[in-house]
Amino acid sequence: MSQYASLLIALPLISAFFVPIIKAIGKKVVMPFLVLITAIQMGMATWVFNEVYTTGKPIIIMAGGFRPPVGINLYIGHFAALFVLIIAVASFFMAIFSMKAITVEPKDKYAMLSLLLMLGATGMISTGDIFNLFVFMEITAISAYALTAYNKSGEASEAAMKYIVLGGIGSSFFLVGIALIYGSLGTLNMAQIAQLAGQMNPTVAQAALAMLVFGLGVEAELFPLNAWAPDAYQAAPHPVTAMFSAFVVKAGLYALARILYLTHAVGSWGHILRLLIILGTLTVVIGEFSALRQTNVKRMFAYSSISQVGFIAVGFALGTQAGVSASIFHMVNHAIVKALMFMAVGYVALELGGVTLEDFKGLGKVMPLTAFAITVGAISIIGIPLFNVFWSKIQLILAAMKAGKSGVIALILGASLVEAVYYIRLIHLMWFEEGSRERTRIKENFVFGTIMLLLVALIIIIGVAPNMTWNIVQKASADIYNVAQYIKNVPLLPGVSP
Amino acid sequence: MVMKRALAILTLLIIGYWMASALANVPFGADKMLVAQYYLNHVKAQTGAVNAVTAVVVNYRGFDTLGEVTVLFIASTGVAALLWRKKRERTAETEGSIVLTTGARLLFAFIVLFGAYIFIHGHLTPGGGFPGGATIATAFLMLYLAFSAYEIPHRSFEVTEGLAGMGYVAVGLIGLAIGSYFLFDWIWQTWGWGHSNIGRLFSAGFIPVIYTIIGIKVGTELSGIVDSMVKEGGE
Repeated sequence: MSQYASLLIALPLISAFFVPIIKAIGKKVVMPFLVLITAIQMGMATWVFNEVYTTGKPIIIMAGGFRPPVGINLYIGHFAALFVLIIAVASFFMAIFSMKAITVEPKDKYAMLSLLLMLGATGMISTGDIFNLFVFMEITAISAYALTAYNKSGEASEAAMKYIVLGGIGSSFFLVGIALIYGSLGTLNMAQIAQLAGQMNPTVAQAALAMLVFGLGVEAELFPLNAWAPDAYQAAPHPVTAMFSAFVVKAGLYALARILYLTHAVGSWGHILRLLIILGTLTVVIGEFSALRQTNVKRMFAYSSISQVGFIAVGFALGTQAGVSASIFHMVNHAIVKALMFMAVGYVALELGGVTLEDFKGLGKVMPLTAFAITVGAISIIGIPLFNVFWSKIQLILAAMKAGKSGVIALILGASLVEAVYYIRLIHLMWFEEGSRERTRIKENFVFGTIMLLLVALIIIIGVAPNMTWNIVQKASADIYNVAQYIKNVPLLPGVSP
Repeated sequence: MVMKRALAILTLLIIGYWMASALANVPFGADKMLVAQYYLNHVKAQTGAVNAVTAVVVNYRGFDTLGEVTVLFIASTGVAALLWRKKRERTAETEGSIVLTTGARLLFAFIVLFGAYIFIHGHLTPGGGFPGGATIATAFLMLYLAFSAYEIPHRSFEVTEGLAGMGYVAVGLIGLAIGSYFLFDWIWQTWGWGHSNIGRLFSAGFIPVIYTIIGIKVGTELSGIVDSMVKEGGE
């Protein structure tokens, strides 16, 4: 029965291949088809989530019926089940948003690419084989390049070009890292790599892991590999930006954390953690200070998103279970908040034609619901109590305290202060300033309003009663942190070991 | 400027030294055949392929291959999306020389035949769906070079490409239904066809089926990319 979870991969794939045929039937059907498929995906992801969390056991999918490490296996544990659900829900919301937000032709290609983006992220999060991870990373990255350039403006092409160059370099780094691991261990299966990691020569392990960290750093938007991100976020179609922030970057971060913890037995592990903590800190600092200077709100949110990613990386780099839990909690919260904010800002751009600070003056009177959604998101991101991000920031601080890293605490508090400056400025602009142009109130779209209110409700529910989510998150973090259990869960073929 | 360059060279040297010292410690070429040895020992019994590489590509690591097929699909979709114009036409001014046009007419069928041969015999000889499909696409590329007005039947190529992709996933799903594993080789392992035929054309389970699908898909896809890149859009 559990092998049917492979439909999570098969469905988006077969649907993407089906789009050219749908287009031949009727062009108008393409976008509703996208919504339908993401809805089915969401249903399946809910089923898988429920299955994993009630039985407490991961679903192991063995492609071709070959047992790992001979064949490729998918490992849908507590973490993957949670994030596959988040990916599916975010994709579903953005598919609905796309029906109005995507006006540039060819829409059939857009539908294919966004299905494949969802597929790639799902695969990255659920795979149990490091080369398969690379393949899914390529799927995610290449659809992301194409989607970035989708609007076909000069800006978009430039952003996509930057992304392709950096992404290509990142992929090559990642591949070299895999080659070093395969060369010294003779296996690609992640559970077996974890089992044998201790045998690796520390110099080789250090080089391989550094390569993998830098390779994934492009997708995970870590400084100095994130130069593409603000441009891409700004130039990409609005639903795509929301998807980038909600799950594409998360898939990269997850892969980073997974590989890091699987190889915790290698001799030079501490060096890699230190590298990651430096990269994460720089990401936060540079992201926040760049956000402060932006006049384009979408770009400002992009920088804010990047600095949140830095927090998550720092949390993973603490090397403790508390740190991993806090990071995953922050990932969940950030996915909700940024999906909301990028959707709202995209909707503003759609209605008003621009997203500069000037356009946002007096937004509270023109689009009150959207302005309200942005306000809630902004307050949450700053880390005000009774909103969801507050709890993950607190957990991060507690984890840093336990790990004895007072620098990280200062970083989080300082960054929150900077966030408060630019977000409160934005809130003030929306509600208390008059726009220079005369504008009448816009009738806001009912469906988009409902989605935004749903996300707002989630933010507040998690903010008021964080315990349920925290329990789920802790299980997900045990999935990453408890490597011995991970190895035990994968039914490795006996006899194929040194 | 000189400082910057010197700094860059210095950094490169340090990273290069570090990489070299890591590479020196990897036992490349030594007997580290963990999974690979298993493949060599079991390939015939488990997949029926004489070409072990093919068996690894399509059977053992078939999931990766499905992913690679998807990557190529995204590449062609992406190119088509970015070069999209309402009306696109060919702008070549001169016809190819007599040698080229005659050669293209004569060779077209043979090149396609050779491409088909490569992917149909993927389980027996080196090659497979990807090189076979690429060979077929070169036949179409040659037509583009030779004739200034030539165009592939765009619509039907797109539909064929989609159908081939769906076919691959469908083969995997049939495996899920029959053998209860996605991409399970039901032709070889459940039906047991071709067991007495190892080393001949009708053997190796679903490998020839999948390679034919991949061959068609890659052929139409690369031809589509050529088409997108050759044509120019008028506003």
